[in-house]
Formats: sequence, structure tokens, C-alpha cells
Amino acid sequence: MRNELLRTAAVSAVLVATMAVFSAAQAAELRLLTWSGYAPDDVVAQFEAETGIDVEVTFSNNEEMISKLRATRGAGFDLAQPSQDRIEGPQVEFEIYKPIDLSQIDTSLFIPSLLEATKGNTTVDGQVYGVPHVWGTSGLVVDRANAGDVADYGDLCNGSHAGKVSMRLKRPVLIGFAFSMGMDPFAAYSDPAEYEQILNKVAESLIACKADVKAFWEGGDQLISSISTGEVTAAMAWDTGGWKLNNENPDVTFVAPSSGALGWVDSFVLPARGENDEAAYKWINFVMQPEIAAKITGAAGNFTASQGADAFVSDTLKAQFNDSFPQEAIDNINWYPPVPAGLEDLEGRVLDRIRASG
Amino acid sequence: MSVAALPSEGAGRAGLRLSLILLLAPALLWLGLLIILPHIQLLALSLKVKLGPRLYETGLTNYTEFFAESIYWSTLIRTAFISIAATALTLLIAFPVAYYIAKMIRGRRKNLLFVLALLPFWVSELIRTLGWIIILRETGLISLGLQWLGLIDQPVELLGNDAAILVGLVYTSMLFMVVPLVTVLDSLDDTLVEAGYDLGGNGFAVLREIIIPHAMPGIVAGCIIVFMLTLGNILTPALLGGKNSLWFTDQIFQKFIVRFNWEQGAAFGFLLLIVSSLVVWIGLKITRQSLASTMT
Amino acid sequence: MSPAPDLDIRGLVKRFGRFTAVEDVTFTVPEGSFFSILGPSGCGKTTLMRMIAGFSRPDSGDILIKGNSTIGLPPNRVAANMVFQHLALFPTMSVAENIGYGLRRRGHSKSEIAERVERMLERVDLAGSGPKQINQLSGGQKQRVAIARCLVLEPALLLLDEPLGALDLKLREQMKVELKQLQAKLGTTFVYITHDQSEALVMSDQVAVMNAGRFEQIGTPQDLYYRPLTAFVAGFVGNSNRWRGTVSAVGAQTRYAAEGGFELIGQAVSGLSVGQPVDLFLRPEAITLSRGTDPEAAAANALVGNVQSLLFDGGNSMAIVAPDRGGGSITVALPQTGDLADLTPGEPVRLSWSAEQVTGFAAASAA
Repeated sequence: MRNELLRTAAVSAVLVATMAVFSAAQAAELRLLTWSGYAPDDVVAQFEAETGIDVEVTFSNNEEMISKLRATRGAGFDLAQPSQDRIEGPQVEFEIYKPIDLSQIDTSLFIPSLLEATKGNTTVDGQVYGVPHVWGTSGLVVDRANAGDVADYGDLCNGSHAGKVSMRLKRPVLIGFAFSMGMDPFAAYSDPAEYEQILNKVAESLIACKADVKAFWEGGDQLISSISTGEVTAAMAWDTGGWKLNNENPDVTFVAPSSGALGWVDSFVLPARGENDEAAYKWINFVMQPEIAAKITGAAGNFTASQGADAFVSDTLKAQFNDSFPQEAIDNINWYPPVPAGLEDLEGRVLDRIRASG
Repeated sequence: MSVAALPSEGAGRAGLRLSLILLLAPALLWLGLLIILPHIQLLALSLKVKLGPRLYETGLTNYTEFFAESIYWSTLIRTAFISIAATALTLLIAFPVAYYIAKMIRGRRKNLLFVLALLPFWVSELIRTLGWIIILRETGLISLGLQWLGLIDQPVELLGNDAAILVGLVYTSMLFMVVPLVTVLDSLDDTLVEAGYDLGGNGFAVLREIIIPHAMPGIVAGCIIVFMLTLGNILTPALLGGKNSLWFTDQIFQKFIVRFNWEQGAAFGFLLLIVSSLVVWIGLKITRQSLASTMT
Repeated sequence: MSPAPDLDIRGLVKRFGRFTAVEDVTFTVPEGSFFSILGPSGCGKTTLMRMIAGFSRPDSGDILIKGNSTIGLPPNRVAANMVFQHLALFPTMSVAENIGYGLRRRGHSKSEIAERVERMLERVDLAGSGPKQINQLSGGQKQRVAIARCLVLEPALLLLDEPLGALDLKLREQMKVELKQLQAKLGTTFVYITHDQSEALVMSDQVAVMNAGRFEQIGTPQDLYYRPLTAFVAGFVGNSNRWRGTVSAVGAQTRYAAEGGFELIGQAVSGLSVGQPVDLFLRPEAITLSRGTDPEAAAANALVGNVQSLLFDGGNSMAIVAPDRGGGSITVALPQTGDLADLTPGEPVRLSWSAEQVTGFAAASAA
């Protein structure tokens, strides 16, 4: 009888093991964890045709990427694309990435300044964990016909557009408003006490502003529809959203705030327990070719760190970019430094307090 | 209980017991691996207190912080109250609908109406909620319709408040109330209702003394399902709720996904489990039903 | 002026689409009587009952209870209460709560309700059963609770819709007697509908036989049994040997030629003419059976034949006899006394009957 029980247990164990084997990756497969738009179908098809490697794409965002990798201790994907400021902290805390072998990457494809900056921001214990891919900014999307006076984050709360402004209640809004109020939150990253003080000041002003806010937007589509229907005339948002709206309504576009747009760089990282590094390197070298990078810019709306790709980007997008970013606005961009571990929780409490108020 | 008392009994009984264990093995495995084990892990996680990167100690800080920070517990209370309100409202609306389907019509039209009640569930919750956004927003159908009728001269924003959350939650929960109610009302003998009238009862008396007592197991089952679904809903409150709207499951999600604070997220998950169990238990006590009777 | 009868139905009609369920029914039920409506299923008796109770509204005609029209009143305001076919006791209530339900609706005080319920329970021999749940009762006890639940309201009229139908035979026989005695004791007017002629005959003061939406005949059980006015009543009430035939002669007696080639002689019936097709009825117990073949076998209202089979059923035993002349088999009631007790199949016998026992009705024209 006991034998029978043991046998049942053994059979169950074998079953579970078999399932695990089947769910594991096949050798000639690249499991890519990225943002929507970063792996357009035509690019994937071309890569598969050239290398014979199947690409399985999963769309996500920064927080989800990190959470997914944390849950599996870095398994399940061969290549991921968190922003460069979200690499050092999670690596220190959860060890979910592995170092990049730069000799496997054709560094001549990268804009040198972006590559160097990203390498610097993603170095832990002397090893580089990230290389740049797509960059962009957060700032203001403004309907210039109705809210032409909005030039900085703080202007959203000047009272003249009450009930017609929107923002996303996430960490960029705290940082943007801090800059707009004349503080430097990035400099305070290393000093939690000072950072908390800054956040408290920002929270105070945002709570006061809350009556003017029509809604805190959640998804990009939601924001775009409220601006195109005229329900919202000025909002804090990503640059691509503004340019997308500009295609339909020339009055609406992205405005780089006078205290500086917030610059982010989405990068490439190797998950700690990725199984196909070779394919990952191949993908990086493939998509950084100027023509391919331009295709990704076309799909995602943001420019890449690929040297010379601008030549292949559509004139409309280039015109929109130049309109939003005169040279001094580019120089003025505040690039996100690496987020130290534990900062998110601090910010989360402040965001909760803002939402719960009123 | 008496599994240890085996030796004194015959070998036949022992064999019987073993086959019973084998028979139950898949269910027990499922229960153990998918429900109990993760909860034990969650409990262990919730008792870990983070001191710094990769440095933890055991303690109740994650729980005490919930009570110390008023936003947390007030969000949980608010979530529970709105869920109870949504459950009550769903019952109020679903009961006449279910009664109509179960008792007032027959044959093909009955099936048709039942399918009609099911229809909204053929699209995803996201699409359904977006539908409500289109209807309720400032430039939405109701606002435009009222302006067109001349009843209002300014666009009216109906989105982004607790009433909108309630509307969305009730709509989403409707089916889960209608189905158990139709089932239980179907089993109500029509002559009981007729007898209720014949012996001098008016509509209200018949409803209160005959129909509702009969339907009680279905009502309680429906309410438990709807309450649990509503309490655990995350999409509807996020999309229809306003700028002040906090929802507890969203807090848990934030803790886990956005703030990488699994330890406190786990503690919050346990607190939610305790509160929902408590509400259901109180509900069963008030209606004098047992969980077993509502599930048969 | 005599007091208004408890129930007075005048020219009641109910149609469902093109189907007429109740067609021009008129009758009265005097106070304190036991009135039955007897008919096959689908004859319209339930529809009639539901109109009296107020559950459905007649297309024309009037219903008066104690002289007051109930047309348009909801069922909870009609002064008649109903015992349903399957009793419809409220399963979520105790016995006492079931009986007290109507009193609670009338807003009586708790103590008064408790007192009246207990008194009612005593009257139906269920004293002390108040706290019991419905599913703890036997079939007969449930029956009595259902009746008590109505009677505690002291209705002008108690309607009973085949309440014995669900009981087993033994209990049904016993309940028949009980119901009759209960009605006599309480003096409440009972209107009882059934398809079981035995129930109707045993319990009722008056019986109405209903067929296809109409009343065929209203009368005492004896009237219906011995003096049926229509072929339907003759056939439906009690057992009969039945033949098709034609009228062969009219006069002081009427002579019929039955199918199968033998002659029946009955009493004079007005309205029949020679050659007219008729339905002929002869009750099994009206036939005298004797042993052996008599030389007078060819005499009027008599024939000889052989016992085909014997159906022993105690007091209701029957013999089936095949006449020598043919003409199908004839059922004869078998007295269990005397020398006929040892009758065996195959024995030759002689059957005879008097002319009063032969009843003939003009057959429906198309037949």
C-alpha cells in the first residue's frame, strides 16, 4: 500500500518535471521583454529571416519588467529593456541582471555620448549592465490655441486652466514639479532626508493644485482621447503623445518645459538567468543598425541611440522634434540618474497622500 | 481526528481509507500546491521586515505600518464599504431581473433573456469599462444627450467619482448575482406564491415571507461572489474612479509591482483576506445561513 | 328572502385564445354543503377553480361569494381560501407559522394568533405540532395543516384542488372519510374538484360533472349514479357495460339493436326515434348471473355465455362473460355469497337484467 502511494507521488513528480521542461525555452529562441513599439513586426521578421532565431516578444513597462524578473530571479527572458535609471538599484537589491560582455557588441553603432552615459549609470562593482537603445522625454503636451501660456510644469497649476489639466500620478510628476519649483531632486537622490523634504513640498503644491486637475490619467490612449476631444488642454506627458496628437491637430504638440524636460533612456540588459545571450547580442547589433533603428523610431515615435539613424527617420517626426526641442531645450534636459534602492516606496507614500487628499 | 487510531481496526477499513486518500489526492494536491502553499509563503513574506538591500529581519512592522498610516486603513475601509454598497445595489437590481426571468416568462423568451443577461460578459472587462467611459465622460453620450435635449447648457462630467465606480462594479457583477438567483427562484413552486396571495398576503408580504426566505441561499451565494469579485476588482475602480479614488487591491498592486515592496504587499494581501472573510462571516451570521447551505 | 348562497356562479366563460376552457357555467352552492366538481383532466375544472379563487379573471359572467361579486378582486381579498393540489405549505416556516400566516396578514396580535393557531391545531388533531417543521409531518398531517391554514381564517368558502391526488391509495381512502367528517364538524362550505369519481361520490352533498368546459349534470351522488342525464355522465360515473346501437322500436318500452347482434330492452325514453344511433349503458351490478344454460336463454334482456375470466377483488369482484352470440364481453359484478363463490372460467352461465337498468342516449350525430 505504501508503495502505491510512493508510486503516485513519483508519477506526479515526473509530470510536474515534464511540464517544466516543456515550458522552458527552445535553443533557437530569443525571449524579449520590451516596450510596445520597440520590436515592430517587420523588424522581427527580418531578424528571424537573417538569423534563423525565433523572437518571442512580451510587452511591458519598467516596473513590470523588474517585478517579473524579480519573481523568477532573472529567468524567463533572454533580453529585457528597462530604463537605464532602473538598472543599478534593482541589481543591487535583487541581482536580476548579468554583466554585458561589451566585446560582443558593435559599439560603433552607438552615439558615443549616450553609450558612455548609460555605461556609467549602469555600472555595479565595476561591471557594465546596460547599453542604451531608445531615448525620449517627459514634459508637457499643450493645446497652444487654448493653453498657449503653459510653459512649465508649474503652469498647469496657475489656475487659468482649472478643470482642463491632467497628469499621471507617478514619480515623474513629483520630479518635474520639484524642478519647476526650483529644486533639484536628482541631486538629493543620495540623501533620503533631503529628498523626502523635497517630496513633501511638491506634495503640498500638488494637493493645492488637485482641484484644477480634471483627472490623473492612467494609459496613453486615455490621455490622447481627452486632449483630442478638448476635455483637457494641457497635460504632463511623454513627447510621443504630443507628436501623435500633432498629426491630427497642429495646435497640439509637445512642449519642453522651461525647467527642463525629463530625459530617459530605455536600455538593453541581460536577465541573470537568461539562456540565450548569443541571440540577445545578435538582436542588439541588429536593431542598432541605422535603417533598422529608424524603423523602430517610426513605430515607437522616439529616437534611438543608433549613430546616423536620423537620416532614415521621416521628415514629419524630425520637424516635430525640432519644433519641440530647440538646441537650448535639448541642453536643458534633466536626464534621470539611477534610482537608488528603496526610493520608490518613499515616493509611493507621497503619491498615495496626494491621491487620498481632497 | 482519528487517523492514528488505525491499528485497532480491521485491514479492510485501512484499505478503504487508503483508497479514499488516493481518490482525494488530486484535489488535495491542487488545494495544497495552489492555495495553501502560496499563502504560507505569502505569510512568511509578510513577516519579513526590510532593513536595507538584501537585509531582512522577522517582525510585524509591515502590519503595524498599516495601522499607523491612515491612508492604508482608510482605503481598506473605503474599499470594503463601496464593495458592500455595490453588492447591495447589484442584489436590488438583479432580484427583479432574476424573478422576471425565472417566474414571469417561459420557453424561448426565457432563454433569450438569460442570454441577453450573459451578453455583456462576452467582451472583456476592459472593453466594458471603456464603454462606460464613453457614456459617462464630459464629451460622452449622456452629457451630449442632455445638452441636445436642452436640459443642461454646460457639458457635465459624470466620470471620476464613486458613483461611476459603483455603476461599473454593479454592471460587472450583475451576471454573478443573476445566475444564482435565477437558479434558486426557478426552484420556487409557483403555488407557494399563489398560496401566499390566497391566504391574504399582498405583494410585499409574499416577497418578504415566502419568496425571499426561499431565495435566501441564492441571495447569500450571489452576495458572497459579488462581494469577493468587487473587493478584488482593480480595473474598474482605476478607470472609472476619480482623482481621489483609492482602492485597496490597487494599493497591493502598487506595493508589489511599482514599489518593489513585496513584504508589505503580502501583509496587505493578508489583511484583505481577513477583512473579506470577516464580512462574509458577519453576512452569514446575520442571514443565519451556513456556507454549506448556500453552495448546494 | 332566503340568505344568499355561499357561492353563486352565473354564466361564467373563460377563453384562452380560440380555446374555450369554461363555457357558460352556472351553479350555486348552498351554505355548509360539500360541493364537488368532477371531470376528466383538461375539462376546465381547474380553470373554474382559479377564477373563483381570484387568480384569473373570467371573460364574462359573474362570481358571487355570500352575495358579493368578486370579479376584479385580487386573490388576497377574495373571501375564499384554497387548498392546493400539492398543498403548497411554506417549507421555510414551521407548522404554527404556516397556520398563522393569514392571521399575521390581517394584523392580529401575536398572542391572539398563537391562541387561534393552537385552537385550530386541536380541531384538526394536531395539538402540540406547532413548532414542527413541515418535512417532519406525514402526508395526512400535511393535508390537515393545509386545511387548517385556510380554515383558521374562517373563510366563506374553502376551495380544494384535488388535494388527495398525491397520497397513496390507503391514505386517500382514509382521508376521504376524514375530510367528510371534518367538513360536517366545521360546517364550512367546501368546493372540491377532482377527477376521481369515488372521492366525489363518497364525500359530496352535490356533484357537478364537468366535460369540455361545460357542466353535464349537477345532482346528488345517487342522481348521477342511478339517473345520469347524458351519455358522458353515465359513462364517467361508475362502471358500465357500453355498446353502440340503434333504436329498433319505440313505445311503452324502447328496443335497441346493439352492435354484435343482440337486443336490449329499456324503459321508454322521449326524443328517440326508430333507426337513431344510440349509446347503451348497463351497470355490472345490475346484471343477475346464474349457473347453467337455461332453456329460456333467448328471452328478452337475457343471454347465455361462458365465463371468460374472473377478477377477484374482494367485495368488488367481477366476472367477464363472453356471450355465445358474440358481441364482445360483458362485465358482471360477482356477489361473494352463495354458490357463485366457486365459479370457474369456462363455465356456462346465464345473464339477465331488468328494463329499468338499460339506459340509452342519442349518440353524438357524427358518430
